[in-house]
Amino acid sequence: MTGPMSRKLEARIVDYIARRLPDGRDFQLQDVQRIAVGWSHETWLFDLVWQEGGMARRRGLCLRRDPGNTLLRHLSSLEQQFRVLQCLADTALPTPRPYWFEHDPAILDMPFLVMEKVPGVCPSPWGREGRAFYQAAAGRGALPASFTATLASLHTLDWRVAGLDFLGVPAPGTDFARREIAKWRALIDLSGHPPEPILTDLISWLEANAPPVERLTLVHGAYRTGNLLIHDDRISAVLDWELQVLGDPMYDVAYVLSDLNREGTPLLSNLVDRDDFYRDYEAATGFTIDDAVCRYYNALYAMRSVAFWMSASGLYAAGQSDDIRLARTAWSVPVVLERAARELGY
Amino acid sequence: MSPDQLLERIAATLRRDIGPAIGDEYPRTQAFMAAVVLQKLGRGLACAPAHRAAAAADMDALVVDLEAALAAAPPPPAIATAVAGLGRSRDAVALCALIEALYANREALDPARFDALLSRVRRTLRADIDRRVEVAA
Repeated sequence: MTGPMSRKLEARIVDYIARRLPDGRDFQLQDVQRIAVGWSHETWLFDLVWQEGGMARRRGLCLRRDPGNTLLRHLSSLEQQFRVLQCLADTALPTPRPYWFEHDPAILDMPFLVMEKVPGVCPSPWGREGRAFYQAAAGRGALPASFTATLASLHTLDWRVAGLDFLGVPAPGTDFARREIAKWRALIDLSGHPPEPILTDLISWLEANAPPVERLTLVHGAYRTGNLLIHDDRISAVLDWELQVLGDPMYDVAYVLSDLNREGTPLLSNLVDRDDFYRDYEAATGFTIDDAVCRYYNALYAMRSVAFWMSASGLYAAGQSDDIRLARTAWSVPVVLERAARELGY
Repeated sequence: MSPDQLLERIAATLRRDIGPAIGDEYPRTQAFMAAVVLQKLGRGLACAPAHRAAAAADMDALVVDLEAALAAAPPPPAIATAVAGLGRSRDAVALCALIEALYANREALDPARFDALLSRVRRTLRADIDRRVEVAA
């Protein structure tokens, strides 16, 4: 579905929420807006207004629906996203508060979750306006500090106490990297893409060089500007809980350090001075950034990118999506493979 | 007009005339993406004969070099089998099998020999990916 929300869908959402809030009446959705970016779930923002106890109420909500043909295929689960947000709701990490998850497609045609609409903006770091936004914020200093402090908060929260062990706890040693390799290999296998010798080289190298993990933390998996909501020069919410795992915090650090996530600037994620990031992250977490391990995870990210693009173009090729953006990603595969070859030194 | 020129021209029409005339964001993006896809298909068609010839020559040279390297000293049987397979089929499947065999037998090869064989394979992979990026980038 594209464009504005249909009256029928709006009515079904109102009907659903009315059943969840039985003390309210006269429910209405206002300022309905579809978030147009992303390759994954369908996302709607709106304000719910209603009457309750003789008073007018208003609450900002975000609704995400899973059309079942997302780039991550079986690896993307709204239910897991909902559980993660529930676990994080009472931690120091800023995240949207989750309200409801429904698996039954009879309600809104597909599984969906409803969560808090957190105040803030999320400029794309790839566009001119977004780059200008982050450039200006970098000059003021508060947002870069918040970026690093929020990552440190994510890596130092007690995931056992938060109940996040359902994500799967890697065994000591190299199990974390091996799990990631296996996960992305499964996605590659599902894509139906023909064999790629550079990918075989990359996977073989990753398996032969998997680093042991010193400590296990919650890992976001895509911590960068564009996945972070910003309000008053601070991170108001960490978004996009689709790739999170329990694993090596250096996996996130490598992503922050990667030049994949900045464009035309030495600032990490278009925002943070590299030296400041090292200093502030290490001071806040007590961890030492391991550059060699980060280089390994950069190669792992190359494999992950190949898996994304093979999956995306495979969905189009198999007729599971009509989105021509997915067809176009067939040409992203060699570009990422070329990058992988450079990561391996050739 | 050759097929690649035809695709390039349709892509230009989509980009210049059709896309900008579409009001809604989603179909407009789809039109521009279709232009990109057609342009890349066109470029691929134009480059295909030269790329096919270069790839075949590179593969022939790789097989010759690997056979010579293995003749100097007998390798682990799995590597000999993989090189023989590559000599027969000269395709990506056989190349993947050879790379897997090299890594799987890394301990049996001394490090210098492993590096030499893998480096030779990588030289061919680099040439191949450079050609593909010429179309894809």
